[in-house]
Amino acid sequence: MTEPMMINLALAILFLPLLGFLVTLLFGKRIKSIYTFEIAIIILAFVGAVVLLFTKLSYYQNTDIVSQVSWINLGNVPLLGNTTIDIGILIDNISVLMIFVVTLISMLVHIFSIVYMEGDRLYNRYFAYLGIFTFSMTGIVFTHNMLMMYIFWELVGLSSYLLIGFWYEKKSASDAGKKAFIVNRVGDLGMLSGILLLYTTYHTFTFSQIFSQIAAGHFPLNSEFWLTVTGILLFCGAIGKSAQFPLHVWLPDAMEGPTPVSALIHAATMVAAGVYLVVRIFPLLTSGALMFIAVIGMLSAFIPATIALTQNDIKKVLAYSTISQLGYMVMGLGVGAYKFAFFHLITHAFFKALLFLGSGSVIHAMHHEQDITKMGGLRKKMPITYATFLIASLAISGIPLTSGFLSKDGILQGSFAFGSLTGYWIFAFVGFLVAMMTAFYMFRLLILTFHGEPRDHHKYEHAHESPFTMAMPLAVLAVLSIFIWYTPNPFNPEQGAILSNWIKTPQLVTPQDSRFNFMKSELPANVAVQQVTQNSEVMYSESYTQALEGAHIPSLLLSLTLAGLGILIAFSFYQWKKVDVDKLADSIKPLYKLSYNKWYFDEIYGAVFVGGTLLLSRALAWFDQYIVDGIVNGAATVTRAVSRFSGKFDNVVVDGMVNGTAYVSGFIGLIFRRFQTGKVQTYIVLVVFSLVILLFIFK
Amino acid sequence: MNTISLNYLVDSLKLIKPEIALSITLVLIVLVDLIMNKDKKFLPYVFVAGLLVTVYLLIEQFSTSAFAFTTAPNLGMVIIDPFGNFFKLLIAFATIIVIMFSVLSNEIKEGLDRQGEYYALMSGMILGMFLMASSADLILIYVSLELVSLSSYVLAGFNKNHVRNSEASLKYVIYGGISSGIMLFGISILYGLTGSTNLYEINSLIQASQVHGLTFIVASVLIFVGMGFKISAAPFHFWTPDVYEGSPIPITAYLSIASKAAGFALLIRFIKITFIQSVDPNGFWHLLNVIDWKTFFIIISILTMTLGNFAALWQNNMKRLLAYSSIAHAGYLLLGLTVLSNEGIMAIIIYFVVYGIMNLGAFLVVMLIANKLGSEEIDDYDGLGSKAPFLSVSLAIFLVSLTGLPPTAGFIGKLYIFMALVDAKMIAVAVIALLNTVVSLYYYIRVLKHIFLNDPQKETQVLSTSVASVVFLVVLITPVLLFGIYFTPLVDLAKSSISLMGF
Repeated sequence: MTEPMMINLALAILFLPLLGFLVTLLFGKRIKSIYTFEIAIIILAFVGAVVLLFTKLSYYQNTDIVSQVSWINLGNVPLLGNTTIDIGILIDNISVLMIFVVTLISMLVHIFSIVYMEGDRLYNRYFAYLGIFTFSMTGIVFTHNMLMMYIFWELVGLSSYLLIGFWYEKKSASDAGKKAFIVNRVGDLGMLSGILLLYTTYHTFTFSQIFSQIAAGHFPLNSEFWLTVTGILLFCGAIGKSAQFPLHVWLPDAMEGPTPVSALIHAATMVAAGVYLVVRIFPLLTSGALMFIAVIGMLSAFIPATIALTQNDIKKVLAYSTISQLGYMVMGLGVGAYKFAFFHLITHAFFKALLFLGSGSVIHAMHHEQDITKMGGLRKKMPITYATFLIASLAISGIPLTSGFLSKDGILQGSFAFGSLTGYWIFAFVGFLVAMMTAFYMFRLLILTFHGEPRDHHKYEHAHESPFTMAMPLAVLAVLSIFIWYTPNPFNPEQGAILSNWIKTPQLVTPQDSRFNFMKSELPANVAVQQVTQNSEVMYSESYTQALEGAHIPSLLLSLTLAGLGILIAFSFYQWKKVDVDKLADSIKPLYKLSYNKWYFDEIYGAVFVGGTLLLSRALAWFDQYIVDGIVNGAATVTRAVSRFSGKFDNVVVDGMVNGTAYVSGFIGLIFRRFQTGKVQTYIVLVVFSLVILLFIFK
Repeated sequence: MNTISLNYLVDSLKLIKPEIALSITLVLIVLVDLIMNKDKKFLPYVFVAGLLVTVYLLIEQFSTSAFAFTTAPNLGMVIIDPFGNFFKLLIAFATIIVIMFSVLSNEIKEGLDRQGEYYALMSGMILGMFLMASSADLILIYVSLELVSLSSYVLAGFNKNHVRNSEASLKYVIYGGISSGIMLFGISILYGLTGSTNLYEINSLIQASQVHGLTFIVASVLIFVGMGFKISAAPFHFWTPDVYEGSPIPITAYLSIASKAAGFALLIRFIKITFIQSVDPNGFWHLLNVIDWKTFFIIISILTMTLGNFAALWQNNMKRLLAYSSIAHAGYLLLGLTVLSNEGIMAIIIYFVVYGIMNLGAFLVVMLIANKLGSEEIDDYDGLGSKAPFLSVSLAIFLVSLTGLPPTAGFIGKLYIFMALVDAKMIAVAVIALLNTVVSLYYYIRVLKHIFLNDPQKETQVLSTSVASVVFLVVLITPVLLFGIYFTPLVDLAKSSISLMGF
């Protein structure tokens, strides 16, 4: 396949879902079965993505394919200088891997929804929305510039709003849609500022051009400090979209949307967009920006994990676990474990989609019951759902032979190495702690839902295994959560093609003195050392590679022990009932309450931001009532006199001017109309007359 | 001697292949009309086929620059250059669309037995317009102008049975006759002064400062009358509203696009070739110091757009409203000429493409509505939004585009005109044009108010639209929206079309 063909294929993958959206939306009311068109479209897009993935990785592994057109070319605009805006498509290993994940999960979600959404009033519209969601995400994946990224970014925001609030008759659902939209705006404001800062500095939106100008020593506002600021501002967009602390509050509420939508949002589209953005801008991040990112990621990994320990809503637990896992990825990027972070994005997409679709299957079977304290014993009734859910739980807990073990261990290894090189051990510490908590809350969820005795017998009696179209996606995703697709050695991901050949840490473009020490380019003296290790890729520097290798065994053992411990505790608490959970909760009541009430984030935000706004408005009202009115009343007599005059002025002069303009316009029109008598003699007289005037002027 | 002249003829014929194709089409139409007594349904398709061949030939020779029918080395009657070819393409496409219009039009169906006549006249008209776009000789200018005019007089009164058709036609004849008389007077004075009818020759004579004085100015202004009549520039626009209102809608649409395009091509060529001294590297023209064309065009264009916009405020008939709006647009187009620069010409070309599409679209919707309602009065449009949602939304898109609001193509057209003005430091003129746009917003949006906000006065059933007209409308809407978002190809086309022969 030639390069132009690949570009065309990429364009087809990009625009097919849009076509599906338009057709399904326009004909949704008239043709009942139009949703099959949308499904066919998405299957087509997936096939295209597979072909693209295969071609890129087998024939163009080390060449990136770029195609761009100048979208707006205004030439030399007065005051602005040369204004051209290019848009284009970038096909590199990262984007083809990502597009594969996006279209695959989108396709599975489409298929899963056929039964899940059956009987919904707006059935076809639901599929149309899935189409535009996929289109928006595909745009983010393929873009080669910041502007298109932003456009599709906002489209993702729009489509998430539509889908989260899909059951808009429910107040909580429409509120959740609004909340997601508004909270995301906060992050997007930062991102937009970052983009504008980049454009005013470099007069281009294209990543590669921005990077090469930074590498040439050209910084925003001519200072490295502002380069750090730009990186952090751009990252703000990711904080919003990927639901990172402190803007993570929208995500748990977004569970109000249909469950397949949650799978789509939390696995492949929306939240992945934030991490993908950081992956794209990674080369321009300075050590300061990376540190900021790592801290945010660490907090986002830790806080939601503690909340997930005590939640009883099956989807809420998964929601908090999503934030926590995204925190892992962001932290991984922050500590420089670029490859593992992106790898985790992919593996997490599969097993998290599986978990959500599995929970959808359970919810469907239980007639929209989401409280895990009312479930139990479903293992016998739903064997396929149970088996796949178990695989996903093992994967997210980081148990060997699963994909999650490979990627998560990589991130822990990266933060371990980071700790040993820089002395910031906190990231590794929190990482391992969260690994244990993850194992605990996932198995708590699994045991409460599927093991033991049923707690609600009525619902249990009616529970049933889901039909093929729902079980098939689960099976596919479960298979993809096994190690074998990624590496032949279940304990070393680096032996697989995906990490050794496909994903490559990009060349940094930041100046040497604003990088971490271990990221600095090697001195020429080390050429000999480099030659020795030619086969294994050097990410940043020799010392980093060595630290990473050194971290492999300890982090592997530690994470295994901790995950096992987490699962063991979960079993002893909920399966074998060795410990009375309620008593334990009572004994650490403050902590339990903090976790159960989600650290009071919503309450704090409600009080500070919403309350603050209300307080401010009340203060202003008070100011208005007493100070302003006081002054006004005091000056009432004067005012009255003045007002009489100003009333006149208003009526006569201002209104006169406003009305007058309209009147004069109309009047001029009337005069002009007068000439149009309809008599051709008059016209000719007028022509001759005006000709004479013209000649007189220009003589 | 004989062989030389024969070669000369063959060489010239090679260059005017599109015109030859058109002439053959004309003959074919007449013949088919004669042979086919009963079934004349496929006459328009013969015409379209001929036009497609013409378009192909035009594209083939798009970037050629040459003289045909040379009278002396480097002098000729007919010029083939990208600028002319662009306008010919525009006219050809407009003709194809108008033929489709005619097929859908009820008014034209009434005169079904005279279809041959209709299409033959149209093909004569387009041939005239092609010659207008490429003539460099006063005689050819006059002849081609008359060819266009005479055909359009008849077409304007095509439905003999309708009083308003005949009235429009008669007014048009008298008015046109006077205008071309005045123009011919100017041409004869110019010939008397210079002894030449070739524009290039006249230009070199003025350069050598052999022609001077008031007489020359009088001659130029008199010639401008003929062109001003064709492009309906004030104060030579009086025929426009009456003729537009009276003619069948396809013809109105045709007059407002094709004949205006030919007029502009002729005007720009006449001004540039006759009065040019040099073109500086920034693309600004330095004209010979004979007559202050800049001030002249500023006055004419401001007058034209102001008059068109203000008079449109009071119109109750949709066709009349569009007639005044087309006068206003002629004013905006003239702005591109006032800057006297290549950038201005580029802006005109961009504007013309956009204006052609959106104006044809607006007329098409008006025609489709008239087919159903039997009326073009704006008051009868009340409540149309619920009865014919697709037609109403299409009309809304075209009207918004005519106003020049983003994200439609109309915005891009105006943007380039204003950019050219700002570049030439004519801020005051740009401000006046901008204020004019504000005025135009009122009357365009008033139509939408009638359609979407007013309740229908009388109950009528839902208006259905045929598949053909829906497809046709979509074909016209797509570029209006597409060029509003992605206009680089349009700009590239304009850039490749600004080169005139010799400069």
